[in-house]
Amino acid sequence: MTLRDRIERGLARLVAASTAERFAISLAALFASILVGTVLILAAGRITGCSTATFVLTHPTPFGLSRLFEVGFCYNPVTVYDRLFLGALGDPLSSGWDPFGRQMALTLRETTVLLFAGLGVAVAFRAGIFNIGAQGQLVVGSLASVLAVLQVAPLVGGVLGTAVSLSVGLAAGALAGGLYAAIPGVLKSYVDANEVITTIMLNFIATGVVGYLVLNHVKDPESFATQTRTIPDHANVPTILFEPTANFSVLALGVGVLLVGGVYYLLAHTAFGYDLRTSGLQPEAAEYGGVNSKRTIVASFGLSGALAGIGGAVYALMILGKFQTGVPSYGFDGITVSILAGNNPLGVGFAAFLFGVLKSGAGVVNFATDVPPQLVDTLRGLIILFVAMPEFFRLLGGRMKGVTRRVNRDESGGETDG
Amino acid sequence: MGERLAAVRQRVAPSGRAQTAALIGGVAALALVIVGGTLFPETILGVLLSTLVREPTAESALRLAVPITLAALGGIFAEKSGVINIGLEGLLIISAFVAVWMTDVTGNLLVGFAFGVVASTLLTLLFAVVCIEFRADQIIAGLAIWLIALGLAPFMSQVIYGGPNTESVGTVPTLTKLFGFLPPAGTLPQRLVAPTIGVGPIDALSGVLASVLTRPPLYLADVLLDASLSVYLMGLMVLLSWLVLYRTRFGRWVRASGENPKALDTAGVSVSRVRYQAVLLSGVLAGMGGSALALSIGQFTGNGPTMVNGKGFIAIVTYLFGNYNPVGAFLSSLLFAGLDAMQVGLQTAGTGIPSSLVRVIPFVMVIIVLALVGRTRIPGAAGEHYESGEDR
Repeated sequence: MTLRDRIERGLARLVAASTAERFAISLAALFASILVGTVLILAAGRITGCSTATFVLTHPTPFGLSRLFEVGFCYNPVTVYDRLFLGALGDPLSSGWDPFGRQMALTLRETTVLLFAGLGVAVAFRAGIFNIGAQGQLVVGSLASVLAVLQVAPLVGGVLGTAVSLSVGLAAGALAGGLYAAIPGVLKSYVDANEVITTIMLNFIATGVVGYLVLNHVKDPESFATQTRTIPDHANVPTILFEPTANFSVLALGVGVLLVGGVYYLLAHTAFGYDLRTSGLQPEAAEYGGVNSKRTIVASFGLSGALAGIGGAVYALMILGKFQTGVPSYGFDGITVSILAGNNPLGVGFAAFLFGVLKSGAGVVNFATDVPPQLVDTLRGLIILFVAMPEFFRLLGGRMKGVTRRVNRDESGGETDG
Repeated sequence: MGERLAAVRQRVAPSGRAQTAALIGGVAALALVIVGGTLFPETILGVLLSTLVREPTAESALRLAVPITLAALGGIFAEKSGVINIGLEGLLIISAFVAVWMTDVTGNLLVGFAFGVVASTLLTLLFAVVCIEFRADQIIAGLAIWLIALGLAPFMSQVIYGGPNTESVGTVPTLTKLFGFLPPAGTLPQRLVAPTIGVGPIDALSGVLASVLTRPPLYLADVLLDASLSVYLMGLMVLLSWLVLYRTRFGRWVRASGENPKALDTAGVSVSRVRYQAVLLSGVLAGMGGSALALSIGQFTGNGPTMVNGKGFIAIVTYLFGNYNPVGAFLSSLLFAGLDAMQVGLQTAGTGIPSSLVRVIPFVMVIIVLALVGRTRIPGAAGEHYESGEDR
C-alpha cells in the first residue's frame, strides 16, 4: 500500500467518524447561541426604556400564594425568535402560506449569495488557509461583473443577450475575485506572510479602491449615491416562480446548488481535491507525498476567491442591477456559514439557508419589534465561538452520559480542526 | 486546523536581510522626502515634508498610536504565553463603546475609562476560557470575539442611544489642562535666541547653533504639552510591559509558557494559569487602548467597521514587526500612526489625491511590511493547546 493510499484511507475514516459529531456540534452551537441571545435580548430589554412591558417573567400563584417576583422586559424574546425564523419563511404555520411569497424570496436570495461566499471560504479552510478576505474578493468581483456587463450587454440583445451578458458577468466576477485572492496566496507561498492579516487588510483596501473607482471613474452621473449605471433590463437575471420585485432568481440558486455539487466532487474525487485536503490536514505528509504546496496554496486561494467573486456578481447583477458602495458583510457571513458547516460543501448548503433565514429574518424583526437588527450580527459571532469549542459540548455530553472527562479527552485526541 | 497553526511555528530565525532591507528602504524614502522637499517646496515632496514636520502631525501621530500600541502590548503578552489573540480588534471595539457609555452614565471620565477596561477584560476572560479550558482553535475563537464585539457594540448603542453612534461625552484632558501651572501648548517660543556679543560672524554662528540645538527640544515639549494623558499612559505601559516581560519572574514564565510549556510544567508552574494571566493582561491593555481611543474623541461611532476600523489588526502587525518587543511594537505603531496622521494632513493640504485612496495607505503598508518581515520567529508553542501530564 502506498503512502498516498494510506493517507486517503485515514482521511476517509476520519471524515466518516466526525460528520455525525460535527452535525451534532453545529446544532448544539446554534441552540447555545440562541440561548445566550435570549439572555442578551432580556438584558437589553431591561436597559432600554418603554411604557409597557412586552414580556413579563413571573411564576404561577396557585392557592392564592403571594407573588414573589415579577420582572417586565421591553423586548420579548419569543416574538423576536418567532419573527426571526418563522417570519423569514413567510409564516409557514399560518393557513395562507405562500411558499413562493415575497419573504421566502428574500430569504432564498440571501441564501444564494451566502452559498457562494460560504463555498469559497470552505475551499480555503479545507486547504488549511484562513481566507478572511472573502468580503474583499466579493466586493471586487461584484464591481468587475457589473462593469463587464455594462460593456457587453449593449452589444447583444434578446434572450441570447441575457445569456451572454450573464455568463460574461459571472466570469468577470470569478476572475476578479480569484485574482484578488491570489495576492494573499502568493504572499503566503513565497514570502510567508500570514494570510489572516493580509486578507483582512485586503478587505479594507478593496473597499477603499473600489470606492475610489466608482466615485471617480465609473459613477452614474445622474445619481447622488456612489454607484455605477444600472445594467440594461435584458441583462437582468430572469425571475421565475417568485415575485419579480423581490429580485430573486431560482436560476441563480440553481447555479449555487450545482456549484455545491461541483465543489464536493472536486474536493472528494479529484487529484487536485486530494492535494488540497491533504495539505490542509498534514502539510508535511502532503509535501512528502509529492504535493507542490506553494502551487496548491495559490490555486486554493484562487478558487476560493473565484467562488466569492461569483457571489459578488450574483449580488450585484441579481439583487442590485448595478454596483453600489456599502456591500453587506456577505464575506464574513460566509466564514460563519463555512465554520458552521464544518467546511463541508454539502453542509454549506444547509448553513447558507440557515443564515439566509437569519439575514432576512433580521429585517422582519426590525419591522415587527424595537429590537435592533444588529442582534443577528452578535448571534453570528456567538455561533462561531460555540462551534470553535467542540470540547465544551463533548464535556457536556460526557457528563450527561456519565462518562468520565478523562476518557472523553483521550478519545478526542488533539483533533480540533475548524 | 490546529496543526496548520503549528506549521507556522516552524519558521526560521528572523531574516536579518529582510529587516535591513525594510530599514534601508524607509531611510531612503525619508531622505528623498527631506532633500526633495527642501529643494522643490512646490512639488508633492514639499507638501509631504511640510506635513511631516508640522506639530499637529506629530501630535495626531502620538494620539493615533495610543490604541494601536496598547493593543499591541496586549497581543505580545498573549502570544508570548502561547495564545494567539486575534480578537484584539473586538476588545478595542467593546471597550471603546463601554467607556463612552459608562462615562455618559456616571459623568466621570476615569470611571468610564475603567469600565471600558473591565468590559474588555471580561470578553478576554471568555476568550481565555474557550481557548485554554475548551481547547478551541485560537484563530477561530479570536475571530468570534471580534465578530461578537462588532455586533454587540452597535446593538447596545442602538438600544441605549437609538442609533449606532453614541452621544458625545468629555475627552481625556491634556497635561496643561490638568496642571494649570504648565504653559499651554503653542505659547512656547519656536527657538531660543543666543545673546549677541557684537562680532558679526560669531553672532551668526551662535544664532544658527542656538536654533539647531533648541528647536528639537522645544518642538518635543510643545507636542508633549498638547498630548492627552492617554499618551502618557501609553508611554508608561510600554515601559512597564518591557520591565515585566524581561525583568520579572512572571515575564520569564510567560515566555517559557510560549516557547517550551513542558519545561515550565516540569518546573512546577501551571502553564494554563500563566496563560490565563497573560491573556487577561492582554484584555486589560487592549481595554485601555479602546477606552483611550473613544475618549480621545468623546464619542463611539458604530457604523460599518466601527471607529476602531482595523486598528486591532494593525496592532498585530506592529508587534510582529517589532519582534514582540514592547518598545519595538511602540515604534512601529508610531510609524503606522504617523502614516495615518500624514494622510489626514495630506487631505487638508489638498494634494489632489482622492481621500479614499489616501486612506488605504496604512493598510497597503501593513502588507508590504508583512511581506518584508514575513519570516518572523513566533513563540515555539504559540497556537497550540498544552495538556498537562497531571490529571486536573
